[in-house]
Amino acid sequence: MKTRYRKVVRDLTHDYSKNLLLVLAITIGIWGIGSILGGYGVIKREMRDNYMGTVPASATIELEDSISVSLIDSVKQLPGIKEAERHATVLARMKVGDRWNPLLLFVIDDFATKRTNKINHISGAVTPAEGTMLAERTAYMVMNAKEGDELIIKAPHGEPKKIKLTGTVQDAGLAPAWQEQTGYGYITLSTLHWLGEPQSFDQLRILVTGNQHSAQYITNKATVIANWLKTNGHPIHEIQVPPPGKHPHQSQMNAVMTIFIIFAFMILVLGAILVAESMATLMVKQVRQIGIMKTIGAGSFQIIRLYGLMMLIICVLALLIGIPLSQLTATAFYKQIAGLLNLEINNKDIPFSVPLIQIGSGIIIPLLAAAIPVIRGSRIPVRVALDNYGVSKNRPVAGSWLLKLSRIAGSSEIFMLSIRNIFRQRARLMLTVGLLAAGGAMFMTALNVSEAWNKDLQKIYEQRLFDMEVRLQSAVHADTVVNAIKEIPGVRIAEGWQYASTSFVKENNYEVTRTYPDKGHGSFTLQALPVPTRLLSTTIEEGQWLTATGANDVVLNQSARALSPAVKIGDPVALLVNGHTTLWRVIGFSKDYGMGAGAYVSLNAFTDQLHTTGKINMIKIAYANRSKAYAIQKNKEVESLLERENIAVSASIPVWLLKNAIAGHMKVLVNTLLSMAVMMGIVGILGLMSAMSMSILERTREIGVMRAIGATPNKIRRLIAGEGFLVGLISIFIAFLLSLLLSFYMGRMIGGMAFRTPLSLTLSFPAIIIWVLIIITGAYFATFFPARRANKITTREALAYE
Amino acid sequence: MNQQSTSLIQLSHISKTFPLAAGSFQALKDIDLEISKGQLVAITGKSGSGKSTLLNIMSGIDKPTAGNVLINGIRVDKLTESELAAWRGKNIGVVFQFFQLLPTLTILENVMLPMDFCNSYPRKERRDRALALLSLVDIKDQASKLPSALSGGQQQRAAIARALANDPPVLIADEPTGNLDSHTGAAIMELFAGLVKAGKTVIIVTHEKDFAGYFGSTVSLLDGAIVH
Repeated sequence: MKTRYRKVVRDLTHDYSKNLLLVLAITIGIWGIGSILGGYGVIKREMRDNYMGTVPASATIELEDSISVSLIDSVKQLPGIKEAERHATVLARMKVGDRWNPLLLFVIDDFATKRTNKINHISGAVTPAEGTMLAERTAYMVMNAKEGDELIIKAPHGEPKKIKLTGTVQDAGLAPAWQEQTGYGYITLSTLHWLGEPQSFDQLRILVTGNQHSAQYITNKATVIANWLKTNGHPIHEIQVPPPGKHPHQSQMNAVMTIFIIFAFMILVLGAILVAESMATLMVKQVRQIGIMKTIGAGSFQIIRLYGLMMLIICVLALLIGIPLSQLTATAFYKQIAGLLNLEINNKDIPFSVPLIQIGSGIIIPLLAAAIPVIRGSRIPVRVALDNYGVSKNRPVAGSWLLKLSRIAGSSEIFMLSIRNIFRQRARLMLTVGLLAAGGAMFMTALNVSEAWNKDLQKIYEQRLFDMEVRLQSAVHADTVVNAIKEIPGVRIAEGWQYASTSFVKENNYEVTRTYPDKGHGSFTLQALPVPTRLLSTTIEEGQWLTATGANDVVLNQSARALSPAVKIGDPVALLVNGHTTLWRVIGFSKDYGMGAGAYVSLNAFTDQLHTTGKINMIKIAYANRSKAYAIQKNKEVESLLERENIAVSASIPVWLLKNAIAGHMKVLVNTLLSMAVMMGIVGILGLMSAMSMSILERTREIGVMRAIGATPNKIRRLIAGEGFLVGLISIFIAFLLSLLLSFYMGRMIGGMAFRTPLSLTLSFPAIIIWVLIIITGAYFATFFPARRANKITTREALAYE
Repeated sequence: MNQQSTSLIQLSHISKTFPLAAGSFQALKDIDLEISKGQLVAITGKSGSGKSTLLNIMSGIDKPTAGNVLINGIRVDKLTESELAAWRGKNIGVVFQFFQLLPTLTILENVMLPMDFCNSYPRKERRDRALALLSLVDIKDQASKLPSALSGGQQQRAAIARALANDPPVLIADEPTGNLDSHTGAAIMELFAGLVKAGKTVIIVTHEKDFAGYFGSTVSLLDGAIVH
């Protein structure tokens, strides 16, 4: 080995603690980026493969009547149709403990030959016999049951019946049941009838030929089929065209992953700043050696190559640790996300591009970061290098702002010295402050966003002044039932509403929705409520809330507005409800939390238009106490009453259940943000430690002089700690301002995904306090070791320090 | 000084001014100096007289503000930093007061390093040459040790061996005995004298009058000008 390279190896091993810090900084970056990209790569591939593996129907056409086998055969013969199947979805209820929870029943024509929206058989029966049911694997948790158990379920028009769970399937097209707080069951038509439900197959699922990736193309094709069906005497209720080829959570997942990737790259960039700073420290120590090497014949390029090689070795070490580590965390990460998306990971291979990106970024970014101090160090003239005493000889001149600042009345000598010292190397100060501020900003942002998330989640309660929503199977006369519920002790308010799935009327007069087969994702609901209502306190963003009892006014929420962005206040809109066109005038736009697309109208106006005066199909109830335990108790009493009154309930949704369902969607995102924030904090503190070490190292001789003229070790320690605290304090201020900006953008992104509206800009005071404590503790530890080292050197050694 | 046409080092009208916050400081004022091959020359003067600056200009470590530096037929003041490094490696051996050995390399490796940088000897020969030079300065038995394990005198001997690594015609030493006791200092001076006998030109900055007997000639500086 060439002698010069031996120097590289010896320098690396000689100052191993400092170099380990460098390895650690780069490793954190490589690890972060590898974990996120690796996890993302697997999830992206598996999400596509899983979802496309189910052969999702291009469109579902809901008919008003039942679909016969001969009709299916006829549809299959139509041009542009690749496949057609009949299907039914029924929202039933299941008894879990002493509560009735929602259960989505998928009625399948032929389990063995199913060709669209396929399900993967996992265990037990492949086709459930009459009176039995298959369960989606994620549903057992919400069912509080396991395969082989019996479950009491109740179809909307039937009596409660015990049904045996004889098999387990995976339905990759559905979000996990625990996330939706809904059970998923798969039955035959005969079982549906056995449950007392007279309904037959009413959904026609089609696969089109041609451009299967265009929603417009599919909609056109589906409309042609719908026209054909209508002409042949089969009235159409709705056409559902979910976004083609996209998993119900695809866009959320892309947005979440974008945030993660941005954070991961930020960690790498912070690591790079730390590398630049640590490399600058290294160069400070090496300046005189560079002078010596140049004296004995080394050229600048040789010096650059020498330290470049040193950096390369550090990068390679970091890669050797970071890549395997990231593969482990990427695996844990994709497993977590797969659970969140109900995916089966069939191919566990992390894409080959991920380690390549890690190698590229883990070498290029640190080398670029180190290039400045290395090139600067290599170009120092020999005389300057040999005369090097570390700290710049430029001192603040008398009368400068710095002197004035450090002479604040009553400030101690230690404070004066600390404040002047930290400004001696201003470029380094900026780098350290920048590093800490970036770490702090992201830390505070993560906590701000987390708090904003919880706060906005709480708005689900604040906007909904009711505790329970009961959806009835069919419309009933309002007075009797509502008054009976009001009589239940603890019921504060009960109101009768109407609800219906709706869509903006298009030219063809069919309802065309973006609803997925779970009937939840992509749906648009119209709610008709008594004006004024005491059970809803929505936020009006533009225009006004409903005030006129009989007026045909409508208020659209943000998700509904997004479906028809051109609509303005005062515009007339036509909404299709149960095949009838209803006409409204837009008077306001609201901001709802925890609800899909929604339109609010007056109950009187609604029933007038649909000729259902005096009837309701939804009851909203507020209890005297909003606690979950109280709500559970009261919900049971309400359900018992409805059962006694023989009123068929299609779903009862306690507000706490809704909140849990929404919280479940974003839990992983918020937790991952927090863990990334911790990583940022670590990198920030490492940066401060590095900067303080460098600062002390440069001033070894100066510290010797201070000791020689009487400074005690305690004073030296306080001086060094004071410098660390001051740097930390400056960074906190900048971090705070930066976090406001970041929280705004991050909140907009996450809020947009979850609520279609930005999260409220929230300042988390615990975040500020925790970060201040981290900085104080971090500054103490960051200065403890350099201070101890400075005090360990004898005064004589310090004075003679080269 | 020596006015022969065989001058190895020729300095003409050398001035050096340092810019300072309080104004500029002229360290050297119109210096003319010629040094012949095979001489042991002392440069003396009080602290701040400009002796180290003069030495730095002769070794190419620093450049003059004005004047010409001609060494072995090369206009040193015209060379770029990288040209200077290569030139210095082969033509000038520098010995410092504080030895300036690289702390993480052994004594042997310190001596081999200039040959590596200048690629001056075949790789296989470097080790033997370095050992021969360490033998010359009488510390061959310390070859595998780190500098910190050696005494001041031994470190200075190692520094001299390193300065000789590329067999330069000129050795420049800035107070090489300043950090050594008188006995060790005298031994180092003996070493320099021996090198001069072997044909090297040695220029030493010193203010130790005890070693006057070793010097063939002495240049005295006062306030940046030659007074003797």
